[in-house]
Amino acid sequence: MTFQSTQDAFDAAFSTAALPAVLPAVILSVGALLMLLIEIVPGARASRPIVVLATLVGALFANFTQLSDPAGPVLDGIYASTPETAIWGMLFAAGALLAWVYSIGYYGEKARPFLAEHDMLFLSAPAGMTLMVCSQDLLMFFVGLELLSLPLYARAAFRRERHDSVEAGLKYFLLGAFAAATYLFGASLLYLATGTISVMELKMMMGDTITTTPVFLAGAGLLVAGIFFKISVFPFHMWVPDVYEGSPTPVTTLMATGTKAAAFGFLIPISFLLPTEATGLIAAIALLTMAAGNLGALVQTNIKRMLAYSGVAHAGTILLVIAGYLASGRDDAIGEQALHAALFYLAAYLFTSTGSFGLLAMLERDGEDLTTMRGIRGLARRRPAVAAAMTLFMLSLGGIPATGGFFGKWFVFTVLVQEGMYGVAILGALMSVVALGYYLRVIVNLWMEPLDEADTGRVAPVTLPAGIATAVCALGVLVLGLMPGWFLDLLG
Amino acid sequence: MDSLTALTFLPLVGALIVLAMPAAKEKAIRLVALATTLVVAVLGIATYLAFDGASAALQGTVEAAWFTLPYIGGGEGVPVHFRLGMDGLSVLMVGLTAVMMPIVILSTYGHIHTRVKEFFVWMLVMETGMLGVFLSMDLVLFYVFWEVSLVPLYFLVGIWGGANRLYATVKFFLYTVAGSLVMLVAIIALVHMTGSTDIGRLMEMASNTDIVSLENQSWMFFAFALAFAIKVPVIPFHTWLADAHTEAPTSGSVLLAGVLLKMGTYGLLRFAIGFFPMMALQNRELFMALGAIGIVYGALLAMAQTDIKRLVACSSVSHLGFVVMGMFALTETGLRGSVLQMVNHGLSTGLLFLLIGMIYERRHTRAIADFGGVALSMPIFAFFFIVSMLSSVGLPGLNGFVGEFMILLGSFEASPLWGTIGVTGVIFGAIYLLSATRRLLFGPLTRKENEELQDLNLREVGLMVPLVLLCVWIGFKPNDFLSELDGSIDALVVRIEAAETQLQLDETALFLDDSTPEPAVALVEAAQ
Repeated sequence: MTFQSTQDAFDAAFSTAALPAVLPAVILSVGALLMLLIEIVPGARASRPIVVLATLVGALFANFTQLSDPAGPVLDGIYASTPETAIWGMLFAAGALLAWVYSIGYYGEKARPFLAEHDMLFLSAPAGMTLMVCSQDLLMFFVGLELLSLPLYARAAFRRERHDSVEAGLKYFLLGAFAAATYLFGASLLYLATGTISVMELKMMMGDTITTTPVFLAGAGLLVAGIFFKISVFPFHMWVPDVYEGSPTPVTTLMATGTKAAAFGFLIPISFLLPTEATGLIAAIALLTMAAGNLGALVQTNIKRMLAYSGVAHAGTILLVIAGYLASGRDDAIGEQALHAALFYLAAYLFTSTGSFGLLAMLERDGEDLTTMRGIRGLARRRPAVAAAMTLFMLSLGGIPATGGFFGKWFVFTVLVQEGMYGVAILGALMSVVALGYYLRVIVNLWMEPLDEADTGRVAPVTLPAGIATAVCALGVLVLGLMPGWFLDLLG
Repeated sequence: MDSLTALTFLPLVGALIVLAMPAAKEKAIRLVALATTLVVAVLGIATYLAFDGASAALQGTVEAAWFTLPYIGGGEGVPVHFRLGMDGLSVLMVGLTAVMMPIVILSTYGHIHTRVKEFFVWMLVMETGMLGVFLSMDLVLFYVFWEVSLVPLYFLVGIWGGANRLYATVKFFLYTVAGSLVMLVAIIALVHMTGSTDIGRLMEMASNTDIVSLENQSWMFFAFALAFAIKVPVIPFHTWLADAHTEAPTSGSVLLAGVLLKMGTYGLLRFAIGFFPMMALQNRELFMALGAIGIVYGALLAMAQTDIKRLVACSSVSHLGFVVMGMFALTETGLRGSVLQMVNHGLSTGLLFLLIGMIYERRHTRAIADFGGVALSMPIFAFFFIVSMLSSVGLPGLNGFVGEFMILLGSFEASPLWGTIGVTGVIFGAIYLLSATRRLLFGPLTRKENEELQDLNLREVGLMVPLVLLCVWIGFKPNDFLSELDGSIDALVVRIEAAETQLQLDETALFLDDSTPEPAVALVEAAQ
């Protein structure tokens, strides 16, 4: 495009139509910036929770308005708002809200002076995620990724007095930087091969001979590998257990759900960059990821660490949809279906995972050993409601029907079965049996092991906010499992 | 509300009521649970009596839109319904479940004293799960009930079971789920290919080679069969059963033997055979062999047991071998016999587990060697034990005989070899059950503890009487029950025969080539 003046170019890019599309990201960014102001305005500190709540609820609502009437591509085509991005955005805002509620009272007195910083870093995460899924441009995605990741590195190390928290932050940062470099290198190779970083233009080039050149393929491979790091796909999953375990639990919650969702939200639409010949490779990587995650989880005694490995396995499951999409010869309809399957799966995962990490955050306040398999022994006798919620989350993670996890699995496998990949689907299904092996162990310890009599003294009450957040998560899991149509209707 | 919905969800309502009650009010909780199951039993018997056995059609159907599975079925999406219905294959199972539950609840007065509230919540949820499995006429709904019904038993065994309960319950869950998940892939594929989740319509579409190719039918048949074979359990998937049965509390064992295992045989009949009759025909020998081996192997296992509960658990494997063999004979007699035998096994094995539970509550041991001469101190117990044992052995005049006889008759028509091997199972069965009875009940009273045993009280007798009466009733007038199957089994037999013709034609078609004269080709094509 050529423009008469800079003014014209500016007008073309920043039309008022763009405003509703970018509003969610703007609200989140403004909220994050307000957090910094709160610290320096005397007497404004008390309004901190209100600002956080208003920001996240505002973002939720701004995304909701995009659902029925999405703005489509705006800002010269580098940013797009679609029904899918609106749902992603709502999930990010809801997930961040739940994780934030669980963080209330988590850090104790020492961290009190830093809570505004904490919340500022907290709000930039959903802002980054929203940018990631809405971006139609390889660099735009990178900006979103860094906006999400840099605050997360800081927050992973937020419990500075604890050695493992600092270690988690450093580890996450170093590997994250490596992943970012890989991604950027891939993007630059793609630019070298095609002369564009626009997703739409890249998509139009598919089928060109350019897209079979080694430079293009190397670029696509490196780009995807960079994202694989973020979603913890085998063999890039080694950082997950240490980082998840060491980070403060509310941070882990967001890492496990939001980061994964946002990365998949971008990865699936751009997976057309991969050649169809990669079907088998992606399927193998997905299955290996599931195997690595499940086998790793099977031997854990710390539940947080177990959930970290289980998150790896879930990433593998979702990755299967990309194999299905590639097997279809990169059919757009299947691509959309794959995205929707991942959306449903991650929506269910968001509620279950947030709920279970949140409950762990609550238990952690009682004393560290309560988040081990031994520590939760007989918990059902002392806190039946907590144990019941945890049981529901475990069953959903295991994909038992009447929970959201079941239909998530159903939709993922549908993509595979449609392409005739029965063997892969059956192998994937059998991996879930291994997974149930450790989810059931949690239930066994909660309900079936006798109560350790020496432990009876430590019954901290469930705080009201945490109780509400848990109820919301449980309700989300059940609604997705019993009335999946309500969510599917949103997708149209 | 229509009767089938009420039947399915009343127990769940009862569970929610119990959940809302304070845990300390144990008596009230027991009463609510008992009342709920009694109402369900009355409702179940009423539906059973209203059922017209001569018709093959689904009866009492309920249908409401649930949600639409997007994309599959040519992009339009496939509507999934909340659809319940009953036909000849399920009517006896529904009746059995409804009748067994109050008896199971009554039996818990003797052995459930801890965490009473939780126990009855799970018990009632279990009933909804089981009835849901038998009544679902939508494949997705069926699968939901099928897997959800695992969870209550997992808790029942895991919390109230014996010393080794955790191992047993996790093993039970993982075994069953492994099969179910493979079936899930087949279900998704089937729904994708046919564009329907209606079990009635799928019966016609799944075996149509234009819609589901023979290759696909083949793997799907095995996927379905695997899930149900594990549940039954068919050899070699039987190892979970002995553990689960032994460790489960009495009420859990009764439920497991009485109803839960029937979910497996019912599934084999309705889905593996009902959806894919051609594949069932092709693999007839294999499954008859597995059934026959199960009969003999289960009996041999039972002979080697020193624990009376484990012995009955192993006898279950043997009895269910009969059911599987009779079913896969794919003859009318075999099919009818195997459906009746599902009920028989539920009654007689259920009775045996109840009796073993009663004596365990008194002596806290199940080792056969610890007993002897019990008939002297507990004559009423001995009477019921002998009746149940004879029903299990298959004495003419009791229910077991009718079922086993029909199954063997049907099996001989299909395969004399496996029929003959099956017959030996009857002999083995008599040996191990009679010898166990002798060691348990007769001989001198060698131990002081056994002399002081209290005989059965009124509650214990009361809960067995209906089951014993049913055993005798089926033994003398089996047609009162078999007539309920007429319509559905006839329809199934017609479909199996059609599948047989189709298979023969396909084989003939293989011999056609260019050298075949034109009229012959035309003839075969016309016949197809």
